[in-house]
Amino acid sequence: MASLGYYLLLAAFVGCAYALAASVAGARRRSRRLVESGIGAFYLVAAIMTAASAVIVYAFVTGDYSIRYVARYSDSVQPLFYKITSYWGGLDGSIMFWVFLLSVFGSSAVYVNRERHRELIPYVVAVIAVVQMFFLFLMIIHNNPFQTYLTENPADGEGLNPLLQNFYMVIHPPTMYTGFVGLTIPFAFGMAALITGFLDDSWLRAVRRWTMISWLFLSIGLGLGMIWAYEELGWGGYWGWDPVENAGLLPWFTATAFLHSVMVQERRGMLRVWNVTLVILTFFLTIFGTFMTRSGVVQSVHAFGEDPELARLFTIFMVSILVFSFGFVIYRLPLLRARNELDSWVSREAAFLANNWILLFSAFFVLFATMFPTLSEAVTGERLTVGPPFFNKWMLPIGLVLLLLTGIGPLLAWRKTTLVNLRDQFLIPVATAAVTGGLVVAFGVRVWTSGICFALCGFVVGTIGQEFWRGARVRQGATGTDVFTALIGLVARNKRRYGGYIVHVGITLLFLGFAGEGFKQDEQVLLKPGQQTQVGDFTIRLDAVRVTDDGQKQMITGHTTVFRNGEEIGRLYPAKWFFRKHEDEPTTEVAIRRSFAEDIYLVMPAFNLEEQSASMQIVINPLVNWVWVGFGILAVGTLIALLPETVFAFAAARVPANAVTTSLLLLSLVLWPAAVMAQSGQTVSPEDRSGLERQLEGEILCTCGCRRPLNDCGMFNCQGHATQTTKLRQFLTEGKDHDEVIAAFIRDFGSEAVLAAPVDRGFNRLAWLFPYLAAVTALGVIVVTARRWSNRAVPAAAGEAGLDPALSARLDDELSNLD
Amino acid sequence: MSHKAAKIGLTSLVLTLAFGGLLYSTLGESAQYYKHVDEVMVQPDVWYDTPMQIHGYARDIRRKRDSLEYSFEMHNKGQVVRATYTGIVPDTFKNESEVVLQGTLTANGFHATGMTAKCPSKYEPQAVGTAGPTGTTTY
Repeated sequence: MASLGYYLLLAAFVGCAYALAASVAGARRRSRRLVESGIGAFYLVAAIMTAASAVIVYAFVTGDYSIRYVARYSDSVQPLFYKITSYWGGLDGSIMFWVFLLSVFGSSAVYVNRERHRELIPYVVAVIAVVQMFFLFLMIIHNNPFQTYLTENPADGEGLNPLLQNFYMVIHPPTMYTGFVGLTIPFAFGMAALITGFLDDSWLRAVRRWTMISWLFLSIGLGLGMIWAYEELGWGGYWGWDPVENAGLLPWFTATAFLHSVMVQERRGMLRVWNVTLVILTFFLTIFGTFMTRSGVVQSVHAFGEDPELARLFTIFMVSILVFSFGFVIYRLPLLRARNELDSWVSREAAFLANNWILLFSAFFVLFATMFPTLSEAVTGERLTVGPPFFNKWMLPIGLVLLLLTGIGPLLAWRKTTLVNLRDQFLIPVATAAVTGGLVVAFGVRVWTSGICFALCGFVVGTIGQEFWRGARVRQGATGTDVFTALIGLVARNKRRYGGYIVHVGITLLFLGFAGEGFKQDEQVLLKPGQQTQVGDFTIRLDAVRVTDDGQKQMITGHTTVFRNGEEIGRLYPAKWFFRKHEDEPTTEVAIRRSFAEDIYLVMPAFNLEEQSASMQIVINPLVNWVWVGFGILAVGTLIALLPETVFAFAAARVPANAVTTSLLLLSLVLWPAAVMAQSGQTVSPEDRSGLERQLEGEILCTCGCRRPLNDCGMFNCQGHATQTTKLRQFLTEGKDHDEVIAAFIRDFGSEAVLAAPVDRGFNRLAWLFPYLAAVTALGVIVVTARRWSNRAVPAAAGEAGLDPALSARLDDELSNLD
Repeated sequence: MSHKAAKIGLTSLVLTLAFGGLLYSTLGESAQYYKHVDEVMVQPDVWYDTPMQIHGYARDIRRKRDSLEYSFEMHNKGQVVRATYTGIVPDTFKNESEVVLQGTLTANGFHATGMTAKCPSKYEPQAVGTAGPTGTTTY
């Protein structure tokens, strides 16, 4: 098995070498057949890498512990799911996974573009093949995932680290890798354009989409990493400026810059050298990030181990990339001259330029600060470090300026903005910002930096809202549909632009979440059962520390009750889990009570069973959930921008115009409760009470006067609670069933007032029915309203023909060349 | 053309100087020495009261009863320093684990204000241990 895998890697290397040679030779000799055979070999490499991946996954699933990599990262008790994902759990496998993704991505890119960009394709194949060869070479000589034991094989594996046995850790690395790997494609096209000299803007069109896809994956990957850190690592935050995190952020900055500046080149033929440079830099940073985390050059708590040999190989590769790429840029400078010059600083080009400079500066700043310990050691011999406060000191103002530009950019016209235009465009956004700022000050929120951030969020929302509103009104006037349908039509017609605005909404929400960070409260205490502590508005009481075992792990759970202003609002169960074979590496299970206003985040880092004490870290994280929502909206926006033209055309042709509004309203109606449910989802540890008992606790009221069900009474030392619970236990041990217990309680109390809800029978049924009736009525009202709104419009097929010229000018002005 | 080049050059120069100056001044406040225990303990008095990060291996970990006050030894290549830390420690903080402490060195030992433990061999698992969930010893 192992040797089969190894030979597959060798074969892939040979295949890459052939693809490289054949396509370069084919391009130079203008031999179509050679080029075709090079492309064939390129596809073959993807097939071989898929087979090699299948081999290693098979080895993991069947538990072939003669392979070192399999023995190190899995064991026989691991669930199948994690066995498969152990593939990318370690260094060697992650490199192989990288090559696999690159071969698949590269093949798809070549397949899609092989006719449209025929002159570029041979060199695209060559560049990607070179990158693949480098990583294959690494595996073959240095990090072979198929390496076997020279001595006796172990009987069982060591198991994947428990911290990695987590849903987010399963999907975070592949998402991140896909983003990283995807950025090789724009680089390959850029290099092909430089080599062939076909430097018109057609290569940009080929790479724009790929950059956007990679950017989407990179963003989602970063978001998932943040969620993982937040929910799994238990330090109460989600971003610590660790070198590994920064490695993912660096190409994100430059790719974001490219996605903006590419518009300037498409629209105005400017920034051509700049765009090529950004593409090269972005690719370089993906390789550099990989190097940083895998070679031990930067000391990080998360990095793979130190490896000077790997560092040397990577350095050679990176220097070659820079020399080769920038050599070609300099060689082709005459062809890269801008066709236009900047007309005015009050223009969209200028805003994009500023945005690019800031993003690039961010990338260099983060790079500099991450590398600072290494740099200082190289220069002075002393290792100096900078911590998160240093990053925050710089990145806070930078982030705020970027947020401001997010709001300003869309308001400026291309080429030059007139004074009248400025006033007209800025009035509403500035007013929104002022109102938000005023409210923030009125509520006594600190102005720097959170207050400013809130105001800027208001500004950006004002800008985007205004853009959507004006666009929709104009379209409505022209097509005669209702506002919603016009809005959908507007987005469908300018997907890239309005998708981009939706991404901006996501970014604004991210910033909203970041601003909440300024009001974080953090408390560390040692509690014994019955003791409580106050953090902000919340009181947390430790009820007990209990031990349970589920066969795979031993679980120590702290049972706590959370009160807000004296009223119980929930119970939280922070825990520590000791996995078999990893007893010395317990995982901390964070308990979080989520809401859009704030999270109560509870960690139990240490405990003492004899003393029955637990140390608790209690963090109140305001607005943190908006960060996750922001990532979601960002993804939706990018997907809209990415959707192929044909999807909308097809939908528009089949679906009557009015149906869109109705279905959207219905969809939001359906999704709303789901969203609420998702928010209130809570990890509750198992308790030793029967399902029936818990059910009854929810149905019978506490008699202390709190008028709450037994399981929800917030009083301390509540007498009524204890009596009722004991009684309930007693009835249950007597073997009474649900109805008998209820009957007994009613009999003892004298009326049905002891129940949390009336019994489902007779007249009472009306009360049970009421909520359902209300829901159905509401649904009916919404459907009728939606239909009326929809029907007011001129029916169907109000196509582009009806657009009035002024509107067309307004809409097309900025995007006619773009999408 | 040369006029334009001069403008661009001047702008870049001013920006570079401004950012360089800012970077330099903020670095002065934020940068900390990053040392291994053995580098510092050869001549400890030189380092007294300098904010720094110290890298080493923890051992002899003790916790004061009913509190979050920890006292332990940090060692590396034969050199040892006694360290104290109050607060919640990472999961992986145990005997012989690799830790980085932030704080200052005094004549009474190292006073840590922050602690980072080497991520539990995220990609490099160590030999299988058998210790149970006992927590740390108290004194």
